[in-house]
Amino acid sequence: MADLDHDAWRDEAGLYVLGTLAGKEREAFEAHLATCAECTAEVRALEGVVTALPYAVPQVDPPAALRARVLAAAGAPQASSRATVAQMPAPAHLSVNRTHLSVNAAWLAAAALLLLSVGLGAYALNLRERIGGLEGQLSDAVSRLDLTEQRLAEATRAAERAQMRMAVLTSPDLKQVSLKGQPAAPGAAGRAFWSRSNGLLFAANELPPLPAGRTYQLWFLTPGAPVSAGLIKPDQNGRIAAAFDTPPGTPDPTGIAVSIEPEGGVPAPTGAIYLAGLTQ
Amino acid sequence: MWLLWAVIAGPPGATAADHTTLERMARGDHEALAELYDRHSRLVYSLALRIIRDQGEAEDIVQEVFSQAWRQAGRYEARRGNVIAWLLNLTRSRAIDRLRGRQSRPEAASDSLLAIDIPDLTLPVDEQLSLEGRASRVRAAMKELSVLQRVAIELAFYEGLTHVEIAERLELPLGTVKTRIRQGLLKLKDRLAGAM
Repeated sequence: MADLDHDAWRDEAGLYVLGTLAGKEREAFEAHLATCAECTAEVRALEGVVTALPYAVPQVDPPAALRARVLAAAGAPQASSRATVAQMPAPAHLSVNRTHLSVNAAWLAAAALLLLSVGLGAYALNLRERIGGLEGQLSDAVSRLDLTEQRLAEATRAAERAQMRMAVLTSPDLKQVSLKGQPAAPGAAGRAFWSRSNGLLFAANELPPLPAGRTYQLWFLTPGAPVSAGLIKPDQNGRIAAAFDTPPGTPDPTGIAVSIEPEGGVPAPTGAIYLAGLTQ
Repeated sequence: MWLLWAVIAGPPGATAADHTTLERMARGDHEALAELYDRHSRLVYSLALRIIRDQGEAEDIVQEVFSQAWRQAGRYEARRGNVIAWLLNLTRSRAIDRLRGRQSRPEAASDSLLAIDIPDLTLPVDEQLSLEGRASRVRAAMKELSVLQRVAIELAFYEGLTHVEIAERLELPLGTVKTRIRQGLLKLKDRLAGAM
């Protein structure tokens, strides 16, 4: 019994160390950890791996101002910020000829200052207008970026799924199966692509709607008993495309079949066969 | 295994130095906080930015993490673990909380993160591995994973998705997701340890 328990729990270790088990699932696994030295050892080893994952992230320097903010939040005095303001050297040379400045020159300087301040005022107004314009543009750009990010996220998901499928289809050990509709569903048809290393891709159409409390189950046909590959849920049009893993220890399949079974699936086929085909 | 420890434990002597720094922080030494920040802010900020993908929020997270380190420096000693691992764990947990809050999904997976003990990684590190060196080792190891293994681990680690959500996102059965995550992590462990 203990071994059976352990097999059921073994795959939880990865989820546990990544923090993806929550609530009751986590408590249940922790209860198992208390009794299983093997899982405990694996969790310890994998925790180390998870700790290394952040190093794979592209490294970016934080903005310089953040340091002062962090220190200020902890109540650090200003002095502990790294940069200290250097004392400006006294501009000694300015005083040398001060007494020789003529009255005219003083007036000229005052007029120049006045002109300068008028010019600066106009420049400030102009700057404020430009900032207003730029802020508007920035907020437009930010909303466009949000939209782009959403689209990118959708595209990333589609690409992730496509990559999974490509991994199976480009496997060197790929085997293909054409599934034909059986008497229970003569119009149905399906295709399967299987690779021991990368799993199973399965697609079918024209599967009849399921009665309540029933499910379709996909089987690997082997020289021994059929092995369940998983449950399949066709859409309203009777279509399905899904990927499955090969259960460990499954012999090379001689074919693939789909049967109708009680909801939740069964360990060995009991219901009518809807689709079946042999490995080519 | 030494490489894995080297990768995790940080630069030589950093673990011991971090402990001394935290002891000084516990006594209210702001210079020590500045040192801790200078040593680890890049890694903390980069992780926060990768998860939250927003510079302003990533900065907020960095501030929160170092504030928490400042407040809890005194209690840290009892945990006898690796300081950078603790900081990164706090960072990931806070970033994922924000990510989940943003998507208004209340069921946070990150509470389970903080429950996990940080392994004691204060093992001898005799190798001069720079931050960049460690980063490239881990990246190289990630590249050796199958697409499915890598994507499943990344969705769990950076997006904070539960295994049920990963299975939905990738349209894969739950069992496949669980198996591939574990296989992927074991392979990473093997690659990081075997690079010797």
